[in-house]
Amino acid sequence: MVGASAGATGSLPRLARLPETGPSAPRVAPPALLEAAVVTHGLIAPEYWRLVLDAPAIARTVEPGQFAMLTVARGEESWPVLPRPMAIYGWDRAGGRIEIVYRVVGEGTRRLTRWSCGDRIVTVGPLGRGFVLLPAAQRIVLLGRGIGTCSLTALAGVAAARGIAVHALVSARHSDALVGGEAYRAAGAVEVREVVDTDGSSGVGPVGAWLAENCRTGVDQIYACGSDRLLRLALEMARATGTGVQVSLEAHMACGLGFCHGCATGHPGLVEESPLVCRDGPVFRHLPSAPVA
Amino acid sequence: MIAAPDLRVDLGDLPLRNPVMPASGCFGPELGDLIDINRLGAMVTKTVFAEPRSGNRAHRLAETYAGMLNSVGIPSRGARAFIAELLPRYRNWSPPLIVSIGGLTVGAYLEIAERLTRVAGIAAFEVNVSCPNLEAGGLEIGAEPQVVEAVVRGVKERVEVPVFVKLTPNVTSIAAIARAAETGGASAITAVNALMGMAVDWRTRRPRTGTAMAGFTGPAIKPVALRCVWQAAQAVAIPVIGVGGIATVDDVLEFILAGATAVQIGSATFTRPDTMVRIIAALEARLSDEGVVSVRELIGALRTDSPSATVPMQAG
Ligand SMILES: Cc1cc2nc3c(=O)[nH]c(=O)nc-3n(C[C@H](O)[C@H](O)[C@H](O)COP(=O)(O)OP(=O)(O)OC[C@H]3O[C@@H](n4cnc5c(N)ncnc54)[C@H](O)[C@@H]3O)c2cc1C
Ligand SMILES: Cc1cc2nc3c(=O)[nH]c(=O)nc-3n(C[C@H](O)[C@H](O)[C@H](O)COP(=O)(O)O)c2cc1C
Ligand code: FES
Repeated sequence: MVGASAGATGSLPRLARLPETGPSAPRVAPPALLEAAVVTHGLIAPEYWRLVLDAPAIARTVEPGQFAMLTVARGEESWPVLPRPMAIYGWDRAGGRIEIVYRVVGEGTRRLTRWSCGDRIVTVGPLGRGFVLLPAAQRIVLLGRGIGTCSLTALAGVAAARGIAVHALVSARHSDALVGGEAYRAAGAVEVREVVDTDGSSGVGPVGAWLAENCRTGVDQIYACGSDRLLRLALEMARATGTGVQVSLEAHMACGLGFCHGCATGHPGLVEESPLVCRDGPVFRHLPSAPVA
Repeated sequence: MIAAPDLRVDLGDLPLRNPVMPASGCFGPELGDLIDINRLGAMVTKTVFAEPRSGNRAHRLAETYAGMLNSVGIPSRGARAFIAELLPRYRNWSPPLIVSIGGLTVGAYLEIAERLTRVAGIAAFEVNVSCPNLEAGGLEIGAEPQVVEAVVRGVKERVEVPVFVKLTPNVTSIAAIARAAETGGASAITAVNALMGMAVDWRTRRPRTGTAMAGFTGPAIKPVALRCVWQAAQAVAIPVIGVGGIATVDDVLEFILAGATAVQIGSATFTRPDTMVRIIAALEARLSDEGVVSVRELIGALRTDSPSATVPMQAG
């Protein structure tokens, strides 16, 4: 599984929307619809592709943890019907470009690989409510697994630029699937720990010990994406130390804007509909023991 | 200079500046950030229920060949929140607002109609009868002509604006249901809602959506929707709004020829959020090119005489 998906959160502790206003509210600008020209597109590791798009209206306002919807259908084609949600991995505001890193998993991402330079992709973004850096934060931990790390890389850059010490864990099945390490180092993270399943370093034991050690010396917030197991570790740490946790969730999406109701996190039996990942998230915070801020 | 073609159509007492509008559940005020909603012929809300409903569990969406499945299950925040929070957001735009209403019993339709009657800013209601009927073991409300007629008559008695009825294609005779809606007092028929479909992941041995069965929509259902529009238009005198698989201006012209007075766009808005406004521009251009003065000339103008009567058969 690619990420802590909405389908799986039923078994996780309650997650809540980030605040609407105040210092721990995410910054959200209205999204734009554009036909973004492909600037660079290529394989960066087996199954992993990097796509740079000319998308000034998105690059201007995007914040860490936000995403875009990329239409897979080309030209006049009317299918694949559903566009694909992709985290905005990085951006160049002045140059008007956004960067996406994706893994080929099914029909849509397989088709995405066929886009070449100059082609125009119908793109909507920035979407959703992203990660929030607390005003007084000095040290944060980022936990990402597989392609889930793509939601976190931009946060590292913004945090480091503010003088916040970034400790990043990059987890994957095997070394070819480690994404984001380079981006973290380039962003100025003080520690990048890369762990894999093949040598056991990504196990709950070693990762839990690393996290505990970090938290012992004081962490202001833990950010997670891409794995229920990492999220669970983060929540355990939150319970033990009171550290706040923000997590980015995944869900199947159609509109990305909040009107189709396809992406609800889904706790059946409630009277009220559970939060929509696209509109209320994708970043949620853990409640109630450790409110953000 | 040649005058621009006339795109205006009438849905009974409701005049539209052009025949293109969104399908229920595939549109919301959020789209106003991306497209000019004032260009649309009308606006259509997601189905509103009298009381809050949470909808189904994840996954609610899956992709299929040339289409999609949804098992959203019509979550609704109920009439009160709709009036207080959602409805005012549509006041930013001028096209008439069509409010889709639903229920799980005949009484529930009457209740939502009562709660929304005389609420300002509603130009028409679209009664969504593709809801499971709790009084009939989950059979769709829209599957039985007598139930449809009772729902429509009851809603019609309670509201002061035109009432449209959106039919389910999952019935034996769409013509019989359309006639029942007309007898009940409907001003127009919308055809059709989602087909019932299903997708299975054999690796996990699970359905791909949270509920095993889901609504099948998108380009793949167009032939079925077109056939339903054709049958409904033959059966009733009131206008028909065509919906199902429309993604291009050609699709729109096909539905209009088959008998649709107006069309709704659903899944294609997901593929490209500006599909509706592009289609409206393309429709104007296409009618100009074809020398059609008014789109109304084409409604139901499908030729069903034998083409061999006019076009000689090729030998061999
Ligand atoms: C907010 C968000 C950010 C994401 N960021 C990235 C990223 O940066 N890089 C990356 O590689 N992937 C990312 N994903 C996951 C990515 O959207 C899916 O891997 C992708 O949609 C799969 O498409 P496919 O056509 O190859 O697979 P298919 O299996 O053919 O997809 C079928 C349908 O299921 C949906 N689907 C399948 N898996 C997922 C999933 N894990 N999440 C959401 N929808 C899914 C597809 O969108 C499509 O509608 C993100 C998802 C979300 C919700
Ligand atoms: C995600 C989704 C949600 C929908 N919600 C509703 C709804 O609330 N009420 C309704 O009458 N139809 C609903 N529909 C059906 C559409 O209005 C339309 O009838 C159907 O999708 C066929 O049109 P299309 O092929 O253009 O999508 C929904 C369809 C989709 C895909
Ligand atoms: S994807 Fe449509 S509401 Fe979230």
